[in-house]
Amino acid sequence: MSEKKKTGIIGLIVLTLIILVPLVLSIIPVGQAGSQDLDGVFLEMPADSIQNCIMNTDSMRYHHWEILLGMRERVVRYGIREEHGLHSCRDCHTSRERFCNQCHNAVSMDPDCFGCHYYP
Amino acid sequence: MNRRDFLKATGGTIVAVGSGAYAFRFMTQTNTRFRHAGLPEGQTQKLYGMVIDLTKCEPGCTACMDACRRENNIAEPGAEENHERWDIHWIRKVRMESGVGEVHREREIPLLCNHCDNPPCAQVCPVQATYKRHDGIVIVDQHRCIGCRYCMIACPYNARYFNFKDHHADWTNPDHPKRSHGVAEACNLCAHRLDVGQKPACVEACEQIGCGAIMVGDLNNPTEGELHNPEDLVSRFIAENPVQRIRDDLGTEPKVYYYGL
Repeated sequence: MSEKKKTGIIGLIVLTLIILVPLVLSIIPVGQAGSQDLDGVFLEMPADSIQNCIMNTDSMRYHHWEILLGMRERVVRYGIREEHGLHSCRDCHTSRERFCNQCHNAVSMDPDCFGCHYYP
Repeated sequence: MNRRDFLKATGGTIVAVGSGAYAFRFMTQTNTRFRHAGLPEGQTQKLYGMVIDLTKCEPGCTACMDACRRENNIAEPGAEENHERWDIHWIRKVRMESGVGEVHREREIPLLCNHCDNPPCAQVCPVQATYKRHDGIVIVDQHRCIGCRYCMIACPYNARYFNFKDHHADWTNPDHPKRSHGVAEACNLCAHRLDVGQKPACVEACEQIGCGAIMVGDLNNPTEGELHNPEDLVSRFIAENPVQRIRDDLGTEPKVYYYGL
């Protein structure tokens, strides 16, 4: 009986480890390749006279897509056209190749905004 | 206190506290994302409508159709990627016949999305991509459209089109998006222009060639807020002239009125 119990406990531990391994590995950064790619990203910044976007740079970097989604909802569903939108991004960030796609390619993002919306 | 009373009191308390908390949360939540956007102060609700004066419309003229194509980045007909089988016309000219024998007559009428007050396309849309805006414009949210084409079947005016192909035409109007393949689309009464106080492209083109047959304006407000000259008020035109609507018997309450049909 105790033999059976012991085997069961060992089996349980092994199973837990197997489940945990990919979770742990996904948290730990593996190798240097990924970070090198991100360091090598070249973003074409707008002129020095423009200091901040509509929010500070860090917030824009992480939340620009949420801002755009919110604008999209207000424009498409309610007809509230505000001063800023995807059309005003291209006033400063003039090139999609040299700005948007740099990060999107590095993290394998493929937003389909530009399939329909004009961005040079 | 016996057991029956105790259970009654406990149950009652739980229901009261629970519903109270739910109501409190419901009333005080500040998430306005899905709430209907209110109107700015001092503005009445608009209801856009269109009047097409067929006595002024010239047969054979395609100014409105060409302007619509340019405005909405639709490829010219006959282009390689725009075969006539999947060509898109947000506004098109339809030949109508009436009468037999001596009273027989033919005329071309511009036909577009009628922006029904009771839109069948919006009723059948399974993802609510097609919907009626608060100002009466029936519009497609192409981000949500899944391309099932129910709306094309439901529309009694055949005014909806499907993008069988991606558009590769030149950008004639960079401020307005194209549509990717796999979404349905229809006239949106140039909502992007109406929102900023401009006239729709077809109206502008019709005025430029000197016809002025198409008028767009507010049906709710007969005195002000019009996009046209004061004598061109849409609601007044409808009140003073015998206007007709196409397939009025279907109960869709279209908002495009024809004069001289």
